[in-house]
Amino acid sequence: MASVVTLPIKLNATPSGWSKPSSSKPSSSIELPLYPAGPSFIGLARRQILQRSFEEDDKFILSEREKLQSEKEDKGDGLQYPGLGEEDEPQHVLNQDPKEWKKQDHYAVLGLGHLRYKAHDEHIRVAHRRKVLRHHPDKKAAQHGANDDSFFKCIQKAHETLTNNDKRKQFDSVDWNIEDEVPDLKSLKPEEFVDICNKVFAREGRFSKVQPVPEFGSLDAPKKEVEGFYDFFYNFDSWRSFEWHDKEVNEGSDNRDDKRFTEKKNKSERTRRKKEDNTRLRVLVDDVLALDPRIKRIKAEEKAARDAKKKGTSATPKVLTPAEKKAAEEKKKKEEAEKKEAEKKALEASKGDREVAKKAKEAARKNLKKWKKAIATVISSSNYFQAAGTAPSASVIEKQLSELDLLVELSEPEEIKDLKEKIEKAGSGEPAKQALVERANALGEKGQGKFTEFA
Amino acid sequence: MIEAVLKVKQNTISQQGEAFSRTILGINFGQSYASIAVIDKEGHPTCIANEEGERQIACAISYVGEQVYIGNGALPHLVKNGKNTIMGFRNLLGHTYDEVDHTTILTAPLLADSQTPAYTVDILVPPPKPASNPRSAAASGTATPNPAALEPVASTKTITVPEVTSLFLSTLFQSAIDFLGVKPTSCVISAPTWFTKQQHDQLRESAEKAGITVLQVLDEAAAVLVGYRVGNAGEEEKRDKKVVVLDMGETSLAITVVLVSEGEYTVLNKGRDDKLGGREFDNLLLKHFSKEFTKKTKVQLDLPCGPDASAADKRADAKLVLAVEHTKRSLSASSGAATCAVESLKDGYDLSSSINRLRFDGLASNVYRQVGNKLNETVKESGLDLSQIDEILLAGASTLFTGLQQHLSLLVSPTTPVTSTIDPSEVIAIGCALQALHLESLPSQDLKVNDVLSTFKEKVDVTSQPIGVVIPGSSSDEVSAVIIDSGAPLPVRRRVAIPTSGVSKGSKIALELWEGKHEVKIEKVERAPIEKSDSDDEEDDEEEEDEEIKTPITKKVKALGGVEVEIKDESELLLEVIVQRNGGLQVKAWQQGHEDSADKFEV
Repeated sequence: MASVVTLPIKLNATPSGWSKPSSSKPSSSIELPLYPAGPSFIGLARRQILQRSFEEDDKFILSEREKLQSEKEDKGDGLQYPGLGEEDEPQHVLNQDPKEWKKQDHYAVLGLGHLRYKAHDEHIRVAHRRKVLRHHPDKKAAQHGANDDSFFKCIQKAHETLTNNDKRKQFDSVDWNIEDEVPDLKSLKPEEFVDICNKVFAREGRFSKVQPVPEFGSLDAPKKEVEGFYDFFYNFDSWRSFEWHDKEVNEGSDNRDDKRFTEKKNKSERTRRKKEDNTRLRVLVDDVLALDPRIKRIKAEEKAARDAKKKGTSATPKVLTPAEKKAAEEKKKKEEAEKKEAEKKALEASKGDREVAKKAKEAARKNLKKWKKAIATVISSSNYFQAAGTAPSASVIEKQLSELDLLVELSEPEEIKDLKEKIEKAGSGEPAKQALVERANALGEKGQGKFTEFA
Repeated sequence: MIEAVLKVKQNTISQQGEAFSRTILGINFGQSYASIAVIDKEGHPTCIANEEGERQIACAISYVGEQVYIGNGALPHLVKNGKNTIMGFRNLLGHTYDEVDHTTILTAPLLADSQTPAYTVDILVPPPKPASNPRSAAASGTATPNPAALEPVASTKTITVPEVTSLFLSTLFQSAIDFLGVKPTSCVISAPTWFTKQQHDQLRESAEKAGITVLQVLDEAAAVLVGYRVGNAGEEEKRDKKVVVLDMGETSLAITVVLVSEGEYTVLNKGRDDKLGGREFDNLLLKHFSKEFTKKTKVQLDLPCGPDASAADKRADAKLVLAVEHTKRSLSASSGAATCAVESLKDGYDLSSSINRLRFDGLASNVYRQVGNKLNETVKESGLDLSQIDEILLAGASTLFTGLQQHLSLLVSPTTPVTSTIDPSEVIAIGCALQALHLESLPSQDLKVNDVLSTFKEKVDVTSQPIGVVIPGSSSDEVSAVIIDSGAPLPVRRRVAIPTSGVSKGSKIALELWEGKHEVKIEKVERAPIEKSDSDDEEDDEEEEDEEIKTPITKKVKALGGVEVEIKDESELLLEVIVQRNGGLQVKAWQQGHEDSADKFEV
C-alpha cells in the first residue's frame, strides 16, 4: 500500500512569471543486486509475477484486508471465541438494574441475543468468560476509577440462570424476546403457508421433550411425513412451564398461611397457563390441519389412486393376495357397517315423521268437533236442505245429523277440514249439500249403502 | 446439545490446528555459533534455547569413544580430545580441499586425499552381538562368552563437511522440535554474505538431508534487515535509508551497505574481513591473561600459541579460550570487572584474574580502529560518505562490546543511530524466522514461494540518481526534499504530503521535479576555545586543525517537470511519483479530496 510521508517543507503561492519546466526523462537505470527478503520484496515480486500496476495492487491488498477482516468477524474474536460472533452492548442493557433480574434478558446480557435457546453450554461458558473479562469491576475501577459493578452482577445472574438447566428451561419457557405470533394463515398462498408453518413449528418444537421434532415439511411431502407431523403435534409433550411468572413467596414472613396461600395461588396460576398454552398449540395445529394444502392434495391423490384401481380391477380381474383380500374384506365390512348405519339413520328419520303426523292428528281431532259443529250449523241454517218454508221433519233432521256423524267418523280430520271449508264457502242450500254428497261418495266402499240423505 | 458441544470443541481444535499447522523455524548457522528462532504463539519471533539452555550453540562436534558431543558440550573436549573434535566446518561447504585453508591447531585435521573436505576421527564402535543360538546358550556345556569380545572396538570414521553440517543442523532441528512439540514445517537458514551460489546449494542440500524443509537460504545481512524490520516500521520512518549492516561474529567481519527503499533492500556494497572477529578479542585476552599468569607464577606461557607450540601450551590455550568466553560475556554485559579463572592452566598452577572495561577497551582499541577502517573503506567503495549513512545495524555477538559501539557512533554523524535494539547475537535467527513467516503467509493463492524468490535474477534495475522536489523560485542549488533516492528498485512509487497552510484559497502552488546528485558539503569550523581547555593536552596537540562538519546534500542537476495545483482548502497537497521499469516517469499532484482536479504529467 502506498504510504504517505509528510515532507518537512513549506509551500508558498507560485511566484509570478513561473512556468513549468519542460519535462524530461530521468537518467537511465543501473543494475544492483537486491536481497530477496522482507515483506516489501514479496510485494515487489507479487506485482511482477501477476503483472499488476500499483493501483491494481492497492485494490487487491484492500480487498484481501477486507476479506481477512470479515473472516475475523465471522469467527468472532478469532480462535478464542469460535462461532460466537460479536454483539453490540446497547446502553439499556448495560444500564439495567441487577435487582430487576426477572425482567432481564439474560441472553442479551451475555451477548447471545442472536442464539437464544439455540446457544449451547459451550457458547454460554465462552460468552460469560468474555463478558467477565470485559466488565470485571476491578478492570472498570482501574479504567475509570468508578466502582460500578451493577452490570457485572447482571452478567453473573445471567450466567447463573443459563447454566442451571432447570432455571434455563424456566427462562426459555417465557422468553419474551422470541415472538410467537402466527400470521393469518387463511390469506396465505400455499408456498407462503408452508414457509410460515415451518418457522412456526420449528419454534414450537423447542418445547418438546422428545427430540428431534419432525419438520412441517415441504409442499410435496409424502403422506407418511405429513401424518407423522400431525401425529407428533397432536401428542405434543411439552416441557414448557411457567414458574418464571410466580409471585415471590415472602421468605421473611413468619406467616405460614400467607406462604401457603401464595404457593397455592402460584401453582394454580402455573397450571392455568400451562393449560392455556396447550390449548393454544392444539388450536394452532387444528387451524393448520384445516388449511393444509397438502391434506387436500393427498386426498385427491388417494381418490385418483382408488379410481384407477377400480378401473384396473374391472378390466383385469386378478387373483388377490391375502393382504388385498383382507383389505377388500375390511372394505366390505366397512361398507356394510356404513349401510347399517344409513338404515338406522333412515329408520330414525321415519320415526320422527310419524311422531310429527301423530301430533298433527291429535291437533286435528281437537278441531274436529269445531268443524263438525260448523258443518251442522250450515246444514241447520240451510233448513236441512228442505224446500224453503217447509219445516223439516224430526226424522229427517235426526237422519241427516247421524249421517254427518258417520261421515266425520269415516273421514280423516283433514278431509273434514276441507269439507268444512268447502261448505262454508258454499254458504247454504244446494251447493253445501253437493259438497256433503261428494264427500260421502269419496268414502267409497267404506260408506256404501250407509248414506241415504247425502247420496 | 452434547453433540453440538463436541462439534464446537472439534472446531476449536481444528482451528488451532490450522494456526499451528505452519510452524516456522529460523536458523542462524554461523561459522562458530548457531542459534535458532521460532514464531511463538503470539506471532512474535523468539530465539529459543536448546536442551542445555543455550541460545548460542557452538558449531562443534566431538567424537569421544562411543559418544558424540554436539554443540557447546563438544567445546571442553578441545582440551583433551582436540584431534577428534570438528569445528569451523561451515565455511568449507561447497569447496574442494585445495580451495580451503587447512592448517589446524587443535581440531581434527582435514583429510588430504579427499576431494570434498573430510575429517577422520577415532571412535569406538559397539561390539558385534555374539551370534549365539539361544537354545544352545542354555546348554551347560558352552563356555562363558569372552568378555573381551563385548568391549567396543576402536575404529576410525571419515566424515565429510556436508555430512558434518547435516549432523549438526539435525541437532538444531531436534532442539526446535523439542521446544515446539511438533516438527517445524518451514525454515529459512542464514548464509554468509559472501557465500557463492554453489555454497548456497550445498548448504541447502545438507539441511534437507537433515530433514529440514528449507524455504530459502538467506543472506545474513538480509536476515539482519528483516530482523530489525527496517523500512517496515511505520509511517514515521524515512522512505529511503542508507543502512550499514555490520556483522561481527567469532571469526569474521562482514559489512554490507544497503539502500532501504520502502522496505526493499538494494545492496550497494559488501565488505569482508575474515580475520577480524571475536577471535581477535580472545587473542587479546589470552595475551593479557597469559602475561598476568607468567607474572604471578613465573611459569613461561606465551599465548596464543602457534601450530608448533608444546602440547602443554596448546592445552593451556584451549582451556583459556573456554574461560575467556565467559570473561567476554561479562565484559559486554556489565560495566564492572570481569573475572577469569582457570584451574591448572599450566604446570599445575591456577589462574585467577580480572579485567575491567576500561582496560579492555584500551587493549582492544586497535581492533576497534580496524573495524572502523573497514567500515569506512566499504562505505567509500560504494560511492558514499560515512556522513550519508542513516543507520548502522549491529549483528553478531562481538558487536555487543559497548566500546565498539561507541567507537562506531563517533565515526558517523551524531544523528545516525547505531542500532542493537534486538540482541545482535540473536537478530539473524530472528530475521530468518520472520522471513520464513513472510514467505509462508503469501497473500495470494497464485503465488508460490519458489516463484517469488526466483522472480528476480541476481541484479535488478534501480534508479541511478535521486529525484526530488524543488519549490519554484528558490535560489538554492539544492533539492528541497528527496522523494526517490538513487538505488530504488524499479518500478517505484512514492506518495508524499506537503502542508499547504498559510496559502490563500484560490491561489496556485507549484512544484518542480528535479533529478539530483548526492554530495557532501564540508564546512570547516574553528574549534571553540572552551573545548580546547577542556580536553586533554595530548589530544589537543594531535588535532590542531579545524574540525570538519560534513552534511549530505542533494544538488539539482536536471529538471524533470513541474506541476501546478489550485488551492481549494486547507488540506495537504499530495504528490505521487512513479518511475516505471523502462525509466518512464508519472507525476500527479492533487489536494486531499480533490483527486479529480489533479495536475499530472508523464514522460
